[in-house]
Formats: sequence, C-alpha cells, structure tokens
Amino acid sequence: MKRRIIMSILFALITIASLSAITAEEIVRKMDETETFATSYSEGAIITTDRFGVKTSTFKAWSRGAYDSLIEFTSVAERGQKVLRTSGELYLFYPDAQELIRLQGAALRQSMLGSDISYEDMTGEKDTLAQYDVKLLRQERVGERNCHVLQFDAKTRTVAYPMQVVWVDTETYMVWKGEFSTKTGRLLKEMLVLETMVVDGRTLPKVTRIADKMKRDSATEMRLDRLEIDVNLDPAIFSLQNLTW
Amino acid sequence: MRFIISLAFKNLMRYKRRTVITAVAIAVGLMMYIFVDSLLLGAEYESMRNLRWYETSSARIMHTDYREDRRLMPLDVSIEDPYSIISQLEQAGYKAAPRIMFAADLILHSEDFGEDGNMAAQVTAVDPNLDNSVFRFADTLVEGRFCEPGTNEVVIGSWFAEDIGAEPGYWITLVTRGNGGFYEAMDMQIVGIVDCPNPNVNRTLLMVPIDTISDYLAMEGNATEINIALPESEDSGKAVERIQDMIDPTGKSLVAVSWEELAHDYIALAEAKRGGTGMILFLVFIIAAVGISNTMLMAIFERIRELGMMRALGMNDRDIQWAFMVEAGGIGLLGSTAGVLLGVLMNLYLTVKGINFGRFMRDMDMGYRIQSSITGVWSLGTIVTAFFFGTILSMAVAYIPTRRALKMDIPSCLRHR
Repeated sequence: MKRRIIMSILFALITIASLSAITAEEIVRKMDETETFATSYSEGAIITTDRFGVKTSTFKAWSRGAYDSLIEFTSVAERGQKVLRTSGELYLFYPDAQELIRLQGAALRQSMLGSDISYEDMTGEKDTLAQYDVKLLRQERVGERNCHVLQFDAKTRTVAYPMQVVWVDTETYMVWKGEFSTKTGRLLKEMLVLETMVVDGRTLPKVTRIADKMKRDSATEMRLDRLEIDVNLDPAIFSLQNLTW
Repeated sequence: MRFIISLAFKNLMRYKRRTVITAVAIAVGLMMYIFVDSLLLGAEYESMRNLRWYETSSARIMHTDYREDRRLMPLDVSIEDPYSIISQLEQAGYKAAPRIMFAADLILHSEDFGEDGNMAAQVTAVDPNLDNSVFRFADTLVEGRFCEPGTNEVVIGSWFAEDIGAEPGYWITLVTRGNGGFYEAMDMQIVGIVDCPNPNVNRTLLMVPIDTISDYLAMEGNATEINIALPESEDSGKAVERIQDMIDPTGKSLVAVSWEELAHDYIALAEAKRGGTGMILFLVFIIAAVGISNTMLMAIFERIRELGMMRALGMNDRDIQWAFMVEAGGIGLLGSTAGVLLGVLMNLYLTVKGINFGRFMRDMDMGYRIQSSITGVWSLGTIVTAFFFGTILSMAVAYIPTRRALKMDIPSCLRHR
C-alpha cells in the first residue's frame, strides 16, 4: 500500500515536472515556427457548405515570413481574384472590374467567397507572442493526440480575436483545434484540423474545418493539395503592381 | 378702344358656350401646370428637409481624417471629448448631439425571427438625451419606446423591421470591429420601431445608445461625429465657417461641414432631376398651350364670315384685329382666373394633406428622401406666371389666324365655311 502511494506521488511529480518543463511562451514560439515559413507555395481548395449547398473554390497561395501573403483564386467563378496581405494592409483585386480595393475596419471581417473564413483569417499574421499574453491551461486529448491547451489574451486592441483557446500538439506543435472569442468570451469561430500532412519534417494541417459560430448551419473546409516550403519567390509577388497584372 | 372692349365683351357674352368651353380648356391646363409644379417642388423641398432632419443634420463636425474616409466609418479617427465641443456650441446658440457610426454584421436568431440569418448593417449610436434635439425622430416612434442610456437596447426603422420581421422584444446580435480592430459581439433587444419619413433611414436604421457602444468598442467617450441643428433661416455655409472658427480655426484636427457637402451625391442627383422636372413642366406647359391655341384657332376660324361682314360694314382692319385679340384675351383672362383659382384650391389640398405614394415608394428608390406622402409648396411665381401666360397666349394665338383672315378679300371671307 505504502509502495503504491509513493508510486502515485512519483507519477504525479513526473507529470507536473513534464508539464512545467515547457512554458506557454515556448509552446507558442514552436507553434509559430511550425506555421511560419521563410517562403511557401501552396495549392488547395475552400469548400463551403451552407443551406444553399456546397461550393468549391480553388486557389494558389504564396507566403513570405509572418506577414506577407498572396492568394490567387483559380476556380472558374473567381478566376483571377487576388488577395494580398502585407504588414497591416489588405488588398483585393477583381480582374473583371480591373479594380483594386483596400480593405480596412469592418470590411476585413467580410466573408471570403461566401465561406466562414474572413479575408483576415486567410491571410492573418503569425507573430502570436507580440500580440497576445499566453497562458497554459491544461493538457487534453484531441482525437488520438495529446495537446497543450493554451489561452491567448490580446495585448492590444489591434488584433481581431481578443481571446483564443488553442489545442497545440505536444509533439508536433501543430494547432489541432482553436476557439476564437470576443473579450467577454463570446465564441465567434471554431477551427478543427481533420487531416494532416508532413512537409519537410513538419506536421501541418491538410484539411481544416472552420465554423463561424455566429452563423448556424454553415461550415467551411480548407484543403491543401500541395505545399512547398522554402521555395524561391520573386519579392515582387507581394507588391501592389503585381496584384494588378 | 372703348368700343373695341365693349364689342369684345358683347361677343364673349353672345357666344357663351364657346367662351365657357375655351375658358375651361385654359383653366384645366393652367391648373395642371400649377399642380405639377407644386408637387415637384414639394418633393424636392421635402426631400432636402428629410435629409437634414433624419440623415445629415444641418451641419456636422468630424475629425479631419474622417472626412475623406467617412463612408468606411473608421473608429480610430474620432472626436475626443465631444461634450466639451457640444457645450461650446450650445453657448453659441446651436443644438448639437454626438454620434458613433459603425458597420456591423446583424445576426438574427431563429428563437425570435423563425430562422437564423445575417446581413450587413449600418449602426447609429446616439445620445438618447440629446439626439432628438438635433434630429426629429421624437415624432416618428410607432411602437415601443426609445432606447435608454447605458442599456443594450436598439430602435429600428419600420421598413427594416418589416423586412426582417422584427418586433419590440426581439433580440439581435451585432458583430463588429472595435476601435483598433478587435471583434466584438453585442446582444441588443429591440425596444422601439420608428416610421421615419426618410426612406433611406427607414430602410436601414439601427439606433443604439452611444455610451453602451463606447464601452463595447473601446471608444473611450469619443464620437465619430457631432451633428448640429441650425435654424431653418440660417445660411449653412456661413454658420459652418463660424463653427469652424470656434472649434478649430486651422482645421487640422476637426472640420465642420454643411449638410450640402454631406449630401453631395443627393444634391448632384437632385440637380440632374431638376432638368427632368423642367422637362415635365415644359410638357405640361406645351399641353396647356396647344389646348389654348387649338380652341382659340377654332373660335377665330368659325367667325371668319362675321369678320368679313365687319369689314364690309367699314370697320378698319386694325380695329378688327384688336377686337378679336381683346376677345381672346377676355377668354384667356376668364380661363386663367378659373385655372389659378382651381390650381390654388388643389394646391391647398396638396400642401395640407399631400398625396400618398407609399405603395410606389416602398419598393423603389427614386433618390428622393420621401417615404410616402408628398405635400405641395406654394410658389407665387408659378401662379403669377400661369395667370399671365394664359391671358397673353390666348391673345397671341388669336393674332395669327385673324391676321390671315384679314388678308383675304371680303367676298372670300363672307363665303368662308
């Protein structure tokens, strides 16, 4: 009996030690490292399901570091539409109208192609620690995987979601699940990774489901069919001039 | 001349039926002219008034950087300490009220509305204690009450309420971006419905208390605009200059603009419409003129034999010409007097009661800020013009056929059928 108690105490100590072995900030740094590439090129699709049916939009995307990204839609209905995000700026280009639009304020929340993903979600910046205070809440399983559950509280008013709770894989540091809320804890969006892929030794989301919790009966899946990282990219890709070509 | 006037009067009395029919034609034409002019002027006048009373106010103060981007409704360029500016304006004799304008996603819940839904909306945050001193919503409340300060209450336009099936007591959620860019979601209860005469406002109005919104959106007491009511008689341009000097003479941080600038698009549209309005009036004028000409021509042509007899009896051509013109002028005078009287009577009804075009206005946007009833306005210029136009035109149209008849020889005139 005595031995059993000692073993239990030892196990508890080891668990606490393993939990405290890594801080919340370190987890976030690793999480950001996993999600951020010097450069990347990807191809994929956004599948939106709502009460009107299912709609699929395909895209190509380029990214550089934590701040710059460009998405170009390739599906027939949206062919040539582009979304460019550079530090703090977001632009849309509509080829039919040959029109360039700068989005700001409430417009950033607008749904992209009728999906549950806003323009800002799609092109969001990835420097989490600069924007949020982080707290490690607990460990929890998501499906078959052990995850750190972290709570992010915004440091400034300039971030979209004042509070986030994310489930980060304890081994791969990929985010399996996320809940995005207002300051008062009102859940706005939920994200869940359904499938993963391994690229250059990193485990990354392949199929992600995003649900706008303010709109019932709608969900969006984002599927990456191809992802290349650390590719050579022309810096001009992220310029306004390139957007209108 | 006395003889000519007497002859013309006798002729008028001799051909009573013709006189009455011709005068009625003139009267109807002129009455329509006065009526249409009053209606179109009334639509424009009321439209401008509804713009000032429910949409733009007479003048507005905003942050200088807000002026260009105001359609995007940014929250980060706002007026600090708006109440100190309002007290300055009150000391100068102007009523003023702060507002915060912002865009939001309006979320409807199936519990109240029968099904879930969402749409883009523009929200107006007002100071419930001051707003009705600048805008005229006080008389437009048709259900419930106005929102109280510090509450999660919303007042909605009646057309908007009809469109989404809203009733007092229902809850809506507004999802928007606060000052800085963070998301905020606010549950608001509908407490009142206003039937605003400005259709643009009635289709979209969501009115919430400014202090509640200031807390939610981290505005720290700032406002995006201060709206000012000017006396109707005051020149808005000069008042705006005076206000600008009072609040920020350099215009570097705050700018005062008149309602004409705020409603620039509408005024451009109204000017374009004015061309169309002029064309409508011109057409009414032509119809009246053709009616008068036709009846006068008929009246002259059927009396060519009489004209020939007058010449055969030795009356000179100049006197005959004058006799016919004075007679025509007499008919014109009778018709114009009756037309002006009828026009004034119709206009009296139009200015007091108006005409309800609600069914048409509900489903179309003509640009006019009129929701249902159009009331007329008095235009002395139009009435005087109509009167002289009816008389002079009658005389003018009598001149040509009389002159032509006088060129005929006497036997031809006597044989004329």
